[in-house]
Amino acid sequence: MSKRVLALLTLITLSLLTSLLITILIGVKAPTSIRDLGKYYVANTIHEAASPEAVTAIVWDYRGLDTIYETTVLYMAIIGGLAISAISRKIQLKTRIGLTGIARTATRIIVLLIATIAFAIALHGHLTPGGGFPGGSAMAITAMLIVPVYTLQSLLERGVTSTRLVAARGLALTALGLIAILPVLRGLEAVTNQKFYPSHIAGMLISGSLWFYNFFEFLAVASGFAAVALYLSAPEELYREELRGVE
Amino acid sequence: MIVALIVFTIALLLSLMFVYLAVTEKDLLKAIVFSAGQSICYAILLHTMAAPDIVMTYLAVSVGLYSALLVFVVSKTERYEA
Amino acid sequence: MESFVYVLFIVVLTLNAFIAIYGIVFRRSLVKKLISLTILSDTVFVSIILVGCIFTYPIVPPVYSGVEGEKEFLLKHASDPLPQALVLTGIVIGLAVNALIAFGIIQVYRLTGTTDAKRAVSALVEEVMEE
Repeated sequence: MSKRVLALLTLITLSLLTSLLITILIGVKAPTSIRDLGKYYVANTIHEAASPEAVTAIVWDYRGLDTIYETTVLYMAIIGGLAISAISRKIQLKTRIGLTGIARTATRIIVLLIATIAFAIALHGHLTPGGGFPGGSAMAITAMLIVPVYTLQSLLERGVTSTRLVAARGLALTALGLIAILPVLRGLEAVTNQKFYPSHIAGMLISGSLWFYNFFEFLAVASGFAAVALYLSAPEELYREELRGVE
Repeated sequence: MIVALIVFTIALLLSLMFVYLAVTEKDLLKAIVFSAGQSICYAILLHTMAAPDIVMTYLAVSVGLYSALLVFVVSKTERYEA
Repeated sequence: MESFVYVLFIVVLTLNAFIAIYGIVFRRSLVKKLISLTILSDTVFVSIILVGCIFTYPIVPPVYSGVEGEKEFLLKHASDPLPQALVLTGIVIGLAVNALIAFGIIQVYRLTGTTDAKRAVSALVEEVMEE
């Protein structure tokens, strides 16, 4: 057997034997109850945050400020990538080598399915596990699928450029910031949920600001990663010409 | 309970195998596939530990976005290490 | 039985972390370093969720579904929601940093023509020294 397979088998037997030894000698006990802070969140999430889902309530209500800053960090990473991949003149690609008709039809069906699932995950994030981030990431996978199958030139012709997508992301981020800051005008703290926003609209449970946060976060993440997919797939000759022009 | 423990053990040992193969592989495309396999094993672990929110985010990010991003990077740079 | 699986968890996750750190330090290609970095951060996230997991049966996620008398059941059998919220934030920030590193690797290849860490650094230093 080759050296790698031998090393692998050694690692596996070593881990099994070590854990057996440690269990017999030291007598570790596996935990059987969660901490008191977790119990507080599980017990009070329906009264204080009007959402039956404890994790979404912690992410957007109890610790909402952390999440707003994390969205800003993601925005800065996208802008950093845009700064590296900037080309000074308009992109005119000569060849349009897409994939065959079979791939295009299959991609059309799959993209529709993924988009439906992504919307569903994002919009019911305050009721069941889900939320803005998983929905946005699933939508971003759609963008990464479309670009190789339908070529970059066909997307640019339809007006879907990376600058416009980054601008859309900026708009979604502004909407998020507005929802967070609006309670301050009434004298409450920023990122308040139940003291300012209604918990039911027309009889349906929307948990105050949680639904709006999830929706705008979905739009922000999807447009941000679609922009990344677009400026990652520009061919390398354009950048070589760009660097030669600089020198 | 015994089924959950067996699933834990198998997923842990599989993830150890995938991590070792991913780090010691010279062909970078194969290393990306092994890294995606390791992410799937971790997603099985996370589901058995009753964390469904994390499973969704982790699957979409690690199996979907990282693999696509790394394939883009490898296509613009070199395929074989060293 | 549960103690054995708990200790096996800790041992295997530590081994994964050490193999990933070996990959970051001793492998020469920049892309391999990025892959090992993602493996290391994923291992840390799983070990954080392990803190909030309980080894009894049944274990359910911390979500209410409108059944009678659910609060007592959840207080005894649900997993901890706080580490899950922190890991959610961590995954997104890790994604942002890794995407930026990927762009950095592409730019290093365009400027120096190699993704080998030592040769790329010496080529860049030479360029700076020439000016």
